[in-house]
Amino acid sequence: MPGMKQSGRRIYDWFEQRLQVEGPIKDAVLHKVPRNTASWWYVFGSAAFTLLMLQIVTGILLALVYVPSAAEAWNSLNILNHQVPLGWFLRAVHAWGSNFMVAVVFIHMAQVFLFGAYKFPRELTWTVGVFLLLMTLGMAFTGQVLRFDQDAYWGLGIGVFILSRVPWMGGGLVHLLLGGPTIAGATLSRFFALHVFVIPGTLLFLALVHVWMVIKLGINEWPMPGRLVRKSTYIAEYNQLTHEDGIPFVPGAFWKDLIFSAAVLAAVGVCAAVFGPAGPGGQPDPSITQTVPKPDFPFLWIYAVLSYLPPSMETPFILIAPILMIAGLLAVPFVASEGEKSWHRRPVAVLALASVAVGWGVFTHLAMNTPWSPHMGAWSGDTLPLEYLREATPLVRQGAVIFQAKQCRNCHSIGGHGGERGPALDAVATRMTPDQMRYKVVTGGGNMPAYGKNLSPPEIEALVSFLETLHPKGEPPAFDASQQAAQSNPAPGGSNTP
Amino acid sequence: MRRGALAFVLPLVLALAGCGRLPGARAEAEPPARPEDVLDFHTLYSTNCQACHGANGHGGPAMELGNPEYQALVDDATLRKWISGGMPGTEMPAFAQSAGGMLTDAQVNAIIAGMRKEWAKSNVFAGAAPPPYAQDQAGDVKRGQQTYQARCASCHEKPSRQQVTSLAYLSLVSDQALRTIIVTGRPDIGQPDWRLEPTPIPGRPPAVYAYLVGPPLSAQDVTDIVTYLGSLRNPAAVSAAPTPIPPRR
Repeated sequence: MPGMKQSGRRIYDWFEQRLQVEGPIKDAVLHKVPRNTASWWYVFGSAAFTLLMLQIVTGILLALVYVPSAAEAWNSLNILNHQVPLGWFLRAVHAWGSNFMVAVVFIHMAQVFLFGAYKFPRELTWTVGVFLLLMTLGMAFTGQVLRFDQDAYWGLGIGVFILSRVPWMGGGLVHLLLGGPTIAGATLSRFFALHVFVIPGTLLFLALVHVWMVIKLGINEWPMPGRLVRKSTYIAEYNQLTHEDGIPFVPGAFWKDLIFSAAVLAAVGVCAAVFGPAGPGGQPDPSITQTVPKPDFPFLWIYAVLSYLPPSMETPFILIAPILMIAGLLAVPFVASEGEKSWHRRPVAVLALASVAVGWGVFTHLAMNTPWSPHMGAWSGDTLPLEYLREATPLVRQGAVIFQAKQCRNCHSIGGHGGERGPALDAVATRMTPDQMRYKVVTGGGNMPAYGKNLSPPEIEALVSFLETLHPKGEPPAFDASQQAAQSNPAPGGSNTP
Repeated sequence: MRRGALAFVLPLVLALAGCGRLPGARAEAEPPARPEDVLDFHTLYSTNCQACHGANGHGGPAMELGNPEYQALVDDATLRKWISGGMPGTEMPAFAQSAGGMLTDAQVNAIIAGMRKEWAKSNVFAGAAPPPYAQDQAGDVKRGQQTYQARCASCHEKPSRQQVTSLAYLSLVSDQALRTIIVTGRPDIGQPDWRLEPTPIPGRPPAVYAYLVGPPLSAQDVTDIVTYLGSLRNPAAVSAAPTPIPPRR
């Protein structure tokens, strides 16, 4: 045993003599950090790095099976899901790792912003962090494309449309990205190269630069109201703080990083085991129109914003907003490199962060829940509740056939099934008189197209007679008060002039 | 410490070994098929047909495909013709790709085979010969009106169940659809077949059709009734104008 220990020591010394990394590593590990930074608020950066490692390991394993060609990608993902032992789990961990990584990077950024950690002398750390965020989002987008299913196909289509609107260079950029004018054979090769070599390489390099600066400049001290950052005095003040009230980074602050990273990994594992991998959904074939593609969650807010923008605003927004957002993020440490760090005295910063968070949340929620599209299969797949037709006359039944066959159901639900673009019609007869229904069907209005030229008078009559029956039992249908009044008081002379 | 690690690792290994049962593991063995590769009758029927023809072929607003008499009366070629090309003069659309629909010929055949398997029964007419599916002789309007009054009007002229002579209704159904309903009936809504025997109606007392006793309709009767109803058809006379407001004081 002692012999083994000695020979192990000898081998270590042999390497150490040549590499000479012990000193720098010891310095990094044992460097003093302010005692109050050993906080649960300071664990997100290390968790993001841990997730990056997880993504690299699972990504390498996935690349052993994945075939980056338009013809084979979808099949190879299904082979992973269904044939390779634990292949589904590997895909699930990679997908959930991606979701967690985007979320943790955003949380890390929000925390850094809130704690004023971007101020002097950490401006460059923030700047590199902004590029790390962009790289992380780039990984999420290219990863979504590599999961070559319908969401991937159409998501890429939208991304390319956005790119194509860049003045002068749009066409060239699209050609460069897709490897041709359309999504085809070369496209996946390009995205594979981006997702596996270009972006991760840059990401890893920038992450190491980021960590290097964190170690060299020290972890941002806990912000105290009134303790202002001044370029002339900050470094001396920070050194004094770590000297007087510092603890070694390991283990003083590091154990919380370890525990949080382990918890995040466990959470990824549990999500992967419970919710499974992301897709692949249907085959990425533009001739399959029975699809409602949606982007992955980091991009859902863009999907919602673009849906709400009036067409005239699309191009200016698409071209200007990202530049303004990125420029704004990059400008933060240079606009406010000195002064207060504490959120207690930075109301504008707190409000800005809260607005961004609420805006992001609202748009993401809208993207997930707004019934953007009609249910294109409702007209032929969603049945009518039996009780709605129990007392139906032949004309009412025929009206129900018109209702289905003319695809009204794709936008209007009945009995909880059908589209949600228009109002549910279970109680439409309590809201509208037959004449009002006729008018609405013929002329449309709001979001509803006018069907006057697409329906014959018998079809309209049948449809309205069906709609007239849609009211809850015991709740009478709407009636036209003027009709009733006129009928109960007919004019003796047959004229309706006063 | 080692025992602690074992206690942590062992359940993990066991969980992964039994990972086929974890909720995240995909239950389905096969990846989603392309829409045109789906040949399962229930999937095809529930996505293409049931909105009008009812879940399991019953209770929909359009023809009751699950009626065994319907299945016995209509042959495969006719079903294929209606499904593939649609039924002119009605809302039945064309489903075959060759006619602008979404279904392949194999899928249309799968739907027909599935309907036969699920809903066709042997000897549904109990030895009686029903009037043929397609009209094979000329009809007479006057005779049809008389037969209608004698054999149909007692139900269809009732305020609650009338409207089979409504101009709007007749404008939207074909003669063939009228004929098929008269011959095969619609048990799901209490419409008797050509034999006019009392049919139990779901949710109604059995005595409702007690007066329907009489000889079955002949093929000629059916043709005459359809001819009479067809003679009333006049789409141009149907107006979708709003109800005029009666004059007021």
